[in-house]
Amino acid sequence: MSSPSDVREKMRKKRRELQESLGRVRDDKQALVASDWDLSQDNGHTAVEMLAGGEEDPGEALRRSMMAKRMKKKKKLLKEMPVESPPDEELTAVQEQDRPHDDDDDDVQPVRDLPPRPAMRPGSSQSENTMRQRMTEKLRAAKSKAASLLEQESIIEPASRLQSLRDRETLTRFDRDTDPDLRADEDSSFTARLKFRDVARRATTDKRTEAGLPTAEEAYNFFTFNFDPEPQQQPRRKKRRPGRREAEEEGEGEAGEGDGEDEEEGEEERECEGEEESEARDEDAPLVRDEEEDLFLIDQSAQDFLEVRRAEYVDYSRRLQRERDTLFVPSMRTVPASSKLAENVRPRYLEEEGLYVGERPHVGLTNQNILENRILKQGEGRKWFGDDGRIMALPDPIKESSSRPPLFHLEDELDPALQTAYRKALKSKHVNLYISGMGDPQSDYQLDVDVSGLIFSHHPLFSREHVLAARLAQLYDQHLTRQHKSLTRLLTDKLNGLRNTIHNMLELHRGEALSQVTQQRMAEYKQEVRHTRQLRDVEQDKDRALLKSIIRVWKELKALRDFQRFTNTPFKLFVRREKVEREQDEQECEDDIMAEVEELQAETEEDYQKKMSEYRRQHEEWKSWKRKQKVLKKKQKKKRQQEEEEEDEESEEELGEEPEKPDPPEKPDSGSLEEQVREKAARIRRKPGEPVLIPELTVSGPVTPNEQCPRAEFARREDVSKRALFIKVLYNDKEVSRTDSRALNMDFRVHFGQIFNLKIVNWPESIKLQVFEGVGSSSTLLVEVCVPVPESSVLTGSAPSEEMEFSSNQRVTFNHEGVGSGVPFSFETDGTSTQTLLTSGKLSCCVSWAVGEDDVPLAPPSSQPGGGMYSGLGQMDAIACIGASSLNDMKKLGKWAAESRLDPNDPNNTSIMQLLSVVSGGDVAVPEYFRLEQLQEEFNFLTDEELQLSRRFRLLRLRSQEVAEFRHFKCVPSMEREISQKVFQDYEKRLKDGEIIDTKEHIDSHRALVAKYLQKVRESVINRSLIAKHHFMLSDVVSEDEVPSIGGPGAGVLGWNLFKLAEPKRPLKPHRKERKKVTAQNLSDGDIKLLVNIIRGYDIPVRRLHTSKPPVSAKSGRSFTEPFAAPVLSQINQQGSEWPFGQPLIRPFVEVSFQRSVLQTSAAEGPNPCWNEEIVLPFSAPNGDYSSTSLQSVRDEVFINIFDELLSDVVEDERERENTIHTRIARHWLGSIKIPFSTIYLQSRIDGTFKVSTPPVLLGYSKERSLGSEGGYDTIRSLSEGTFLSLFITIEPQLVPGDTVREKMKEIKFDSQEVERLLIASEVFEKEASRHFPDRPCLSTVIDINGKTVFVTRFIRPLNPPQELLDAFPNSPQETAELVARYVSLVPSLPDSVSFAGVCDLWSTCDQFLTLLAGDEEEHAVLLCNYFLSMGRRAWLIIGSAIPEGPTAYVLTYEQNRYLIWNPSTGQHYGQYDIFCPLQTIGCLINSDNVWFNIQPYAAPVRMSFDVSKPKLWKPFFSRSFPDPGLSSVQPEALVYRRTDKAAAVELQDRIEKVLREKIMDWRPRHPTRWNRYCISTLRQFLPKLELSGGREVAEEHRLELQSLLGEYTISGFPLHLPFSEIRPIIEAVHSTGVHKAEAPNVEFALAVHVHPYPGNVLSVWVYIASLLTAQ
Amino acid sequence: MQQAPSLQLHTTRECLGLSHRTRTLMAELHIIGQIIGATGFPQNSLFCKWGVHTGGAWRLLAGLKEGQTQVDMPQTGDMAYWSHPIDLHYTTKGLQGWPKLHLQVWHQDSFGRCQLYGYGYIHVPSSPGQHRLQCATWRPLGSWQDQLAEMFVGGGPQLRSPDLIYSGADRYRLHTVGMGTVELELCVILRHFDRYGVES
Repeated sequence: MSSPSDVREKMRKKRRELQESLGRVRDDKQALVASDWDLSQDNGHTAVEMLAGGEEDPGEALRRSMMAKRMKKKKKLLKEMPVESPPDEELTAVQEQDRPHDDDDDDVQPVRDLPPRPAMRPGSSQSENTMRQRMTEKLRAAKSKAASLLEQESIIEPASRLQSLRDRETLTRFDRDTDPDLRADEDSSFTARLKFRDVARRATTDKRTEAGLPTAEEAYNFFTFNFDPEPQQQPRRKKRRPGRREAEEEGEGEAGEGDGEDEEEGEEERECEGEEESEARDEDAPLVRDEEEDLFLIDQSAQDFLEVRRAEYVDYSRRLQRERDTLFVPSMRTVPASSKLAENVRPRYLEEEGLYVGERPHVGLTNQNILENRILKQGEGRKWFGDDGRIMALPDPIKESSSRPPLFHLEDELDPALQTAYRKALKSKHVNLYISGMGDPQSDYQLDVDVSGLIFSHHPLFSREHVLAARLAQLYDQHLTRQHKSLTRLLTDKLNGLRNTIHNMLELHRGEALSQVTQQRMAEYKQEVRHTRQLRDVEQDKDRALLKSIIRVWKELKALRDFQRFTNTPFKLFVRREKVEREQDEQECEDDIMAEVEELQAETEEDYQKKMSEYRRQHEEWKSWKRKQKVLKKKQKKKRQQEEEEEDEESEEELGEEPEKPDPPEKPDSGSLEEQVREKAARIRRKPGEPVLIPELTVSGPVTPNEQCPRAEFARREDVSKRALFIKVLYNDKEVSRTDSRALNMDFRVHFGQIFNLKIVNWPESIKLQVFEGVGSSSTLLVEVCVPVPESSVLTGSAPSEEMEFSSNQRVTFNHEGVGSGVPFSFETDGTSTQTLLTSGKLSCCVSWAVGEDDVPLAPPSSQPGGGMYSGLGQMDAIACIGASSLNDMKKLGKWAAESRLDPNDPNNTSIMQLLSVVSGGDVAVPEYFRLEQLQEEFNFLTDEELQLSRRFRLLRLRSQEVAEFRHFKCVPSMEREISQKVFQDYEKRLKDGEIIDTKEHIDSHRALVAKYLQKVRESVINRSLIAKHHFMLSDVVSEDEVPSIGGPGAGVLGWNLFKLAEPKRPLKPHRKERKKVTAQNLSDGDIKLLVNIIRGYDIPVRRLHTSKPPVSAKSGRSFTEPFAAPVLSQINQQGSEWPFGQPLIRPFVEVSFQRSVLQTSAAEGPNPCWNEEIVLPFSAPNGDYSSTSLQSVRDEVFINIFDELLSDVVEDERERENTIHTRIARHWLGSIKIPFSTIYLQSRIDGTFKVSTPPVLLGYSKERSLGSEGGYDTIRSLSEGTFLSLFITIEPQLVPGDTVREKMKEIKFDSQEVERLLIASEVFEKEASRHFPDRPCLSTVIDINGKTVFVTRFIRPLNPPQELLDAFPNSPQETAELVARYVSLVPSLPDSVSFAGVCDLWSTCDQFLTLLAGDEEEHAVLLCNYFLSMGRRAWLIIGSAIPEGPTAYVLTYEQNRYLIWNPSTGQHYGQYDIFCPLQTIGCLINSDNVWFNIQPYAAPVRMSFDVSKPKLWKPFFSRSFPDPGLSSVQPEALVYRRTDKAAAVELQDRIEKVLREKIMDWRPRHPTRWNRYCISTLRQFLPKLELSGGREVAEEHRLELQSLLGEYTISGFPLHLPFSEIRPIIEAVHSTGVHKAEAPNVEFALAVHVHPYPGNVLSVWVYIASLLTAQ
Repeated sequence: MQQAPSLQLHTTRECLGLSHRTRTLMAELHIIGQIIGATGFPQNSLFCKWGVHTGGAWRLLAGLKEGQTQVDMPQTGDMAYWSHPIDLHYTTKGLQGWPKLHLQVWHQDSFGRCQLYGYGYIHVPSSPGQHRLQCATWRPLGSWQDQLAEMFVGGGPQLRSPDLIYSGADRYRLHTVGMGTVELELCVILRHFDRYGVES
């Protein structure tokens, strides 16, 4: 191997040599080889011809001759050259010159033919070079010309060359080191080749070059050409370089740096034309250098850098030329087989060897040639050729016929199973009804319905004779069938056979003891005999009876015919007598009887024996018992002396019941037996010797012609002849066809004989035949007969015709002889023994599956019992194969098999036996269940129990179920162990304790029950409402700003509001602006605030001077009674006491407490203070849930308390008073307002003046004013009793109230028992109302506690109040009314919206209300209204809105020409013109008859009329157009009141007192709480009085009394009055008064509780609480 | 001295592991994703009803397993976008009945009438990760009368029992026409499946 540098050296040398000799003329072989390498790496070169051969290795001689041939070829091809054709002389010269070359070539050949080894490589190239030198001069012109054409010459080529080529190929592939060398060769040969072409071209013009001395010429050209094209040459070269380089790199793979120069040169030579290239190479280096120099010249201008060139254009011929250089066009000639096969290989034709060779796909010959040529040029081209020298190819994959044949021509040839039938698309309903279930969709099924005829067994047009005749015929039919079956004979034979068998067996075993088996069999036979005998007797009896009745009917018929003197029916009965031989007959009979008697005797004997043995056993038992008894009695006798008799009996009983003494069975009487048998035989059998009677019925009798009949009969016959019948065939309740109409014959038989072929698509569900009877054109349905759908095995031809009996219960009567149908008639003239016959008859028809032309039954597969249900049980098939396809009860089958004693060895029974063995074997048990997911269990990861165990999953599930405890879990731990079991404790406890309610919290067990019930109702209602909750409306999802509308009430933004802009601004009268509402979902704690704006108060009670001690008033006012400690105040007070009004001062302030946060205003002064302060309270929702439902269910209330601030001077040393202020602040509760949060939430703001609920007695305060000193205004104001407070409460930010839920509930229809019409009317009414007066509540239907919609008037019904309330004030109806109202108000109030959180308003009836003892305003109002009605007053329910409740219900009464409005929750009543009436809007009035909606312009009670009779003011629900349907009430008839247990009340009283005391002490942790017992007992006495007076003004005397009793104390205190529901509200109320906050060191407390029981467990609770300060 | 505590640690950890194993960890599957939209329908005012069907072994812990999207009327383009969220959390005691999603695409026309535009059905991918799915839909074709009626008065044949979408018995008798595709994006998160030999 030579090193690369060596190689390079050699190459340079070579090139120099070449260039010296103008290196263009080369050995063409060399050129070809080189270019062939080129091809192998870089396709598109010209050396295809080398590969074209492929024959076996030829000898030298052959090769030489080939060479010669080739040269000839070249000559020919020269003519075809696209360039100018060379002259002929030239060619001859070429040929001549070629010869020596060939000779010379021989010398080289051995070297070349040798498979060249890598080591040999340089040497061979050297030898080539030397050869080249020799050849150049000779071959220049000719060879160059030939070379340009070599690409075309491809047919004949020496094989040896090919081989050498191949070897070289491998060499180039595997020996990299030789690469540079090779490339040098290649380059040189390439350049040479190019130059050949040039020369060839030039040869045409220049003859001299042809002559053989081109050196000078060439040299000259070399230089001359170089000058001119230089500027063009240079850029072109540069430009081409990248492209070329790419080509270079592709081809050669590696191009070392050192080779760069060579390559470049090579490239140059390749690209440039002719001789100038070699010089261009020489010129190259200096040129570049020049340019470099130029670039660095400063004084050169722009032009120096630029040059103008013409557009580059390669002319067409040159381009062709170039293309020809680069492109390879495979020849279209046939490739010789030799070149396609390996050497020395003969083509082998597999086909000739007998192997199957598929047909090749057809390829055009030209295409094939081109392909072959091309492939051969490629590397390893031969591998594409098979042994036969053809390109390898798979057999033609294309089938002759298309695999999806068009339908038109293959209709007949196609396998019938594959044939398709076009079916119309059907609605999916029928999909599962298709018969064509599995895989047989195109077969059609056909049912043949054969309606053969109809026979009436009774028809309305029957005459009496017909009736009898029909009966006769019927009986005769029966007789015939019985005869046909001849059961009697069969049984007799069997009996005889059995008897014989027994006899034989006895014979056989005579004298021997019977084995166990035989005995068993004997017993069985005997049993069988008895059974058969009984059966035979029954049959004989029947036969005999039948015969008798036939004869009787015949006699009757004859009698009738005689009587009516005409015959209607052709029936005639003959009775044939068959004589029997008397002797034999008697003998037989006697034998029979004797045998029977014998058997019976044996049986009875056996029976007797059995009974005897039984008797003996029992007797034995009895005896033993007796013995025991005796022993026992002896023992007892001993005992008796010690013990009493009673115990005796017990011990006697211990022995058990005395068994009855058994009676010995009677001995059977054999004589009576025989008698019995004989009697029976006489009854049921023919007497011996009597002839056998065989009745024969014929229809040959004459029928009296019509003319001879009486008129009635004639009319009947006329009628009959008019009748016609036809039958409709209904398939799956659809009429498919009908028979022809056939006239009714005299014999009432109709023959149709028609067969209908029904091609069916749907599974047959029912086949019905309807019999129609018609007179003239009208027809009526007589009867409908259902025909069972046949089994698929029932086929036409084999199916017997069936007779379907039918009857109809139509009533038909005639005025002629026809007996009619369904009407009684009599055969007797006197009309006795009537009978009623119904139209009946037999329809003979046959329904079966048709048989196709090729005897294929057109029946659906039987595996579809009942409409295509697939049975998953394999056993079904086994049964089906027996033929009993409907049999699928294995047990029954088994039972039947056991009973019928199938012979297991009978081949007929094998299938059944096998089936039975399988079934009873139990290994293939038929599962009684159907399993959906087979193999599920086997693949389960774990069991259900394990899944249940997972706490995490449970937590997740509960959370997603929105269980209250888990609803607000934001995160659930991802690991099981992070969840403690405690999480579920509360929940489980709640589930467990659901039933039990802690009585301790509720104190009263009854109330506990009520609470429980309420809880249940609440749960059910909540469940119901869950649907509503997930029912979203558009407004829930999309928050949309209202579109500004023009005009409209209130909402019009563009309308009136535009004018408002023009209004003068009134800054002193500010308006509250509407705020933007916030949906409650994305809120969290602290976001919501409650704003309470306390504006002012009116008429707050003032401190009262101790009138009892007027002289010391001033002093006491200073010291303790009204301890104004502040000196200023005391001065004012002193002044005040001197006021003309004589009114002491008061410093009230307001404290607002909500959710345990308490804030207060500053103290103002005077009885009519003005605070105008805003209090901001934080709000937090329960569990942090700010959803609207949760907010609605917030039960917290806002307590607004008014206190009087008392400042007491505690400066003890008077001297310090000058410069020290030391005061104690005490406060006295004056009154409170409670507003539930839910009200605020639902109304979004509360604005108005509210009455402060003040205690009836307020010690130390009074509202009295000095009389006469007040102006007119005050006198008016004094009418209003009570203190008032102006408030404005709202929530910040404004929340969207949860009304949506209510709205939704309206959308969701509750089930109702009301009439649909009423519901619709009510909906319309409410809609109308809300459209015209959106702010007036209207109510016509409500939801009762069961969740049903009920019309509201049903709730109103007069109901009796408790009698003792009525008795309390017998003379004063007004007081009674007030007492009743008070009673109602004492029922605790529980707003629906709280208890049924955000669900709906539920109305309960009065009894429910009183049982639950909880309800909201509506229930109170309904109850009060009902009470008033029962008291004879005119009362209505008012549905309106009030302050602060919002939408509510009040009661309106009319008496003494004035209307009174009652607030049922407080028991207060107001006149119509009372301005302080809390009712603001009246929507509608309701009484038991009607609902009136307020359509007056004003809704405030002061400004409206209550005269509901005026339709202009009140719109009634029930009007003339829609009258009251008379709705019954849902209320009970009367209310039953339970007297409340007084003791329980007292007990409750004690408990409340105890609890409260403890609480007060708890609330004062830092101070001792002293109780003034004396005061307590005094207070306790007052409380019942307060209750009796109803809390009205008893204050004065009470106060005086108290004052006198407790003169030395200053008392501030008050009684609180509450309805009792739970203890918690009482505690709250006491706490809110703040009495416990008195912190004077010497303060004492008094607490008294009184519980007054009212009927029905209504309790009124009074709590008197006071603080006492000792007077100094 | 030093060995003892580490050994102790080891044992406690083992104890923990043991308790872990005894307290079986159940396989969980989260399907989180969205129904992006539908494309290729003849009209593009579409909405979609969807539901997830699982075998008996599966239990839904949280999330809604069926729903309905809004009607999207794209102003431009063919694709109706719903971007309807799907968030399901399942646990299972067996692999059978892997959740599959069935869809019904409905078209709401200019009169507000809704008509069925396609049924679709797709398996929830069983490999974890994010998947972008395309569910091809089809619609029963009905008779030519139906088609004619559909052309003029709307409506069209529907499956009487939409269970057929996933139960798939005897469907070959149904003549259907392909409708558009619904695009979904589902993220599948598996947990503890490897404990039961399910490799993902």
